[in-house]
Amino acid sequence: MTTTVTIAASMRGGTKDYGSGEATVRALDGLDVDIAQSEFTAIMGPSGSGKSTLLHTLAGLDRLTAGESYIGETRITGLSEDKITQVRRDKIGFVFQAFNLIPSLSAKENITLPLDISGRDIDPAWFDEIIGILGLADRLTHLPAELSGGQQQRVAVARALVSRPELIFADEPSGNLDSRSGAELLGFMRRAVKEFGQTIVMVTHDPTAASYSDRVLFLADGRIVDEMREPTAELVLDRMKQMGH
Amino acid sequence: MFRLAVKSVRHNPKRMVLTAIAVALGVALASTTFTLTNALSGGFHQLFSEIYAGTDVIVEPAPSSTDAQGGDQFAAPEALLTPADLAAVKAVDGVKTAVGTIQVSGAVLPKDFKPTGEITTGGGAPSQLFNWAGDPKLDQSTLVEGHAPESDDQIVLDLDSAPRLGYAIGDTVTVATDSGVAELTLVGLVRFGETNSLQGATLGYMTEAEAAKLAGSDNYQSINVVTADGADKEKVAEAISQVIPDGTRAITGEAKAAEQAKQFDDLLQYVDIFAIAFALIALFVGAYIIVNTFRIIVTQRTREFGLLRAIGVSGRQLRTMILLEALVIAVVASTIGIALGYLAALGLSALVELGSGNIFGTVTLPIDALVWGYSLGALVTLVAALMPAIHASTISPMEALRESATESKKPLSRRNIVGGALTLLGVLAIVVGLYMSVAKPYVFVGAGAMVLIIGVTLLAAQVLVPLAYGLKAFLVRVFRVDGKLAANNIRREPRRSANTAAALMIGVMLLALVATFTQSLKAVVTDQFQGSAADFFVVSTQGPIPSGAIDVIRDQPGVGVVSTIAAGTVTIDGQARSLAALDPAVAEQAFDYKTDPALSQMDGGVFVDPTLTDLGVKVGDELTMKGPEGSVTVPVTGRYLNSGDANVFVDERTAEKLLGPLEYVQAMVVLDKGVDPVQAQQQIVDALATDYPLVSLSSPGQLAQFANQFIDLLLGVISAMLGAALIIAVLGVANTLLLSVTERTREIGLLRAVGVRRRSVRRMIRIESLVMAIFGTILGMILGVGLGVALVKALAEFGFTSVAIPWGWLAFYMVAAAVAGVLAAWWPARRASKLDILQAIAFDG
Repeated sequence: MTTTVTIAASMRGGTKDYGSGEATVRALDGLDVDIAQSEFTAIMGPSGSGKSTLLHTLAGLDRLTAGESYIGETRITGLSEDKITQVRRDKIGFVFQAFNLIPSLSAKENITLPLDISGRDIDPAWFDEIIGILGLADRLTHLPAELSGGQQQRVAVARALVSRPELIFADEPSGNLDSRSGAELLGFMRRAVKEFGQTIVMVTHDPTAASYSDRVLFLADGRIVDEMREPTAELVLDRMKQMGH
Repeated sequence: MFRLAVKSVRHNPKRMVLTAIAVALGVALASTTFTLTNALSGGFHQLFSEIYAGTDVIVEPAPSSTDAQGGDQFAAPEALLTPADLAAVKAVDGVKTAVGTIQVSGAVLPKDFKPTGEITTGGGAPSQLFNWAGDPKLDQSTLVEGHAPESDDQIVLDLDSAPRLGYAIGDTVTVATDSGVAELTLVGLVRFGETNSLQGATLGYMTEAEAAKLAGSDNYQSINVVTADGADKEKVAEAISQVIPDGTRAITGEAKAAEQAKQFDDLLQYVDIFAIAFALIALFVGAYIIVNTFRIIVTQRTREFGLLRAIGVSGRQLRTMILLEALVIAVVASTIGIALGYLAALGLSALVELGSGNIFGTVTLPIDALVWGYSLGALVTLVAALMPAIHASTISPMEALRESATESKKPLSRRNIVGGALTLLGVLAIVVGLYMSVAKPYVFVGAGAMVLIIGVTLLAAQVLVPLAYGLKAFLVRVFRVDGKLAANNIRREPRRSANTAAALMIGVMLLALVATFTQSLKAVVTDQFQGSAADFFVVSTQGPIPSGAIDVIRDQPGVGVVSTIAAGTVTIDGQARSLAALDPAVAEQAFDYKTDPALSQMDGGVFVDPTLTDLGVKVGDELTMKGPEGSVTVPVTGRYLNSGDANVFVDERTAEKLLGPLEYVQAMVVLDKGVDPVQAQQQIVDALATDYPLVSLSSPGQLAQFANQFIDLLLGVISAMLGAALIIAVLGVANTLLLSVTERTREIGLLRAVGVRRRSVRRMIRIESLVMAIFGTILGMILGVGLGVALVKALAEFGFTSVAIPWGWLAFYMVAAAVAGVLAAWWPARRASKLDILQAIAFDG
């Protein structure tokens, strides 16, 4: 295994406080992390460990109180809101747990929305390939309300993939799905990493979900306390039990 | 972005329905008026071109500065052309025929006309009586039945008027003129132009000799010329100008028609401006609804916007998108509004045609209606959507990840400070406008009122919170738990409730303002008539009071004093000024004029009103006045203290030097002591009936009542125009409730789940609606009456002595508001009570 790894995103001394005065809650506590390119990284930890905050600050959705974060070579910290928006638009894709889609747009329109916003052309071959893999070909004209939960999340993944972002952030993407739909979705995400070299960072509290990743980071009290490569559901579950989950 | 905006509007059209209706109603108001005035203009253009169709050149009095301001289409012009002039015109090269026209100032009375002493309008619309020329081109009318007037006791009438007035061929027609009554035999019917479109007037023709006799002069008002074949009309007109007397002119028929059409269009322009003002008021009220709708929608779509922000939509793009949505709604709503307005105009014109004949031309949708409709609709919608759009653009992408959408609760303090400042500023501007002598005071008052409204709207949120607290105890007592829930809901969204109430406030404010003003105006009018020592006012139905009629009254036993007022226009320092002539010796016996010193001390001089004293004219100055008859220089011997009656007051001798024979516009009768007024009135009316059936007597009380009818009519018209704004405001209440029902779906489901009955849910919504409606109405009444009182006080120098509060109207508005509140709640309440419990709880807001 070669060791020349390109870093897709990173954070140095990342600190995030919520509230002020005595009510201050430290969600991230001087955290350092590197996300390798073309890898599927899972972030795990008990509730309140700061895993969602890490995802949000890494993705430029939220700002750090101290420290700095990078997307590729771009230093996000200190950029204007407009510049960060532009970085998100051009380099990042998102899959949330719920409410991923604009209710008034059809599945196809939702998928191509990032391209429409930035005025880029759709690569039809790439579009068809994604749609084929995700099995959405006969669902493209439907509105979100007419799709099942699993289909909605697959549309969200398709949207995240279509603009070939450097990085996809996923926040509990299978959290609202039944186990079969969840497994399907995570399988697609894994294929995207393996076949297209996509980089994905996923927050989850589900050991089974984490087992689809290449590398699991364990968070507790705003710090990375451990990491695991080539995880299995059992190993992750054991590790979580040790952490008192 | 545009596609996303369109999709979003189409995806959820329901929430935009009421907003669109609000915009559409405002636009419809403008569209109706433009369509109607356009059709009216078309109708009159046709009329004018028919009038002058057969006439190549017209010789007539030149429009001088004095009648330029008149614009009375039906008044007979001065007769300046003598038979010698007619002969001279006939002799001009290129003139084929020339006929002098004598217009008789008089009225054809209905067959069963009986003077009663009551004020009547005689035969309705004015009569137009001419000599019959016998030349089909020049008479403008064609004989359709019977024959032309051949002897002096014969007359023909137009085919619509004769049956309307009750005459058939062979009947004796009564014509009342300034010099007395004539009885003529109806020998024929004529049609004016192609369609006899006379706008309701009566048209009659008689022989030239009879017309001259009734007009009291051989002179012609105009000479109509037909030019020889192939002659250049312009050149002929030019040649005729050389032979006619000073003060007259020769103009081609086409030019004359165009000139009259233009004068009429200028008049219609004021109607358009009036309508635009009311459309703007309606749309201003509509703007409140739009602001509320967009504010609520932005809240409901917070997660959607957050998501868009997360995947890279910039704040600016988001703002643009919402404004585009607003634009889409504006275009759709304006289109509907323009169409509605056009249909309303079609309906109205058909209605008018049923009533008083065809006064409209073809009703088509004019370009003005489109331009104004779309621009007003788009402007108002965009401006109103701006604040919510800016708010949306500040939504953080993190919002997409939150559990549920809630409006961030900003404290009201900033709103209060801004609201307070604006309220003060508004009041200040109004005070400055009304009480300080500034240039363009109405700008101050108008702008001040606008700022005041916005200020009060902002403050209303603060008032509403304690009000809801205060009402809570009451509502709980009366409606128990439903009342408690309703009070809490109002308090929860004070901004939204306040904006909703404010929309209604504006409508009610304007109503209350107009009602206060007209009520005070009525008080002033009543005061004025009752402040008169006169027993009767002489009233003439058509034109000025004939001097013969005044002589008849003077000759009656029991009549003490007849005090007359004649009116005219003179030029002072190059400015046209209104003049009133009276008899200083007796005037004050009939009326309590506010002058300094008393009128009896006029002494051959002139009294001037505040307009002139403001210009620096002082008692003791010499004032030079120029009239059509001559110029007079007399000393200023006193001041007339009320504005708006006339600029200068002189005695009749001076007036005659300026104006020639006087036209009496008013005459007051004071009876001798001990004479029974009822008997005296009947006796005078009977005496007048012989020669002056159109002149009658009214007591000050009757006259005040008559005048008040007109003021009530004015109030009615303005209220109707404000109706659109009020309907929009009530729609606003429904809209706010509907949107908040959607927003509270889960909560209402929960209430239902824990056992609140459908009826209770409905009642809860209804109470909310009632509180908002009544609150808005009360605020509106306070503001409206306040502004009305301020306005009346500011007009004190125009004779507004007392302020009258229209209590009856205020009570009516209150009841109407309550009814409107219940009606507005109907749909939202129904919707809320019909929610399926399980679905409501699962609802993803």
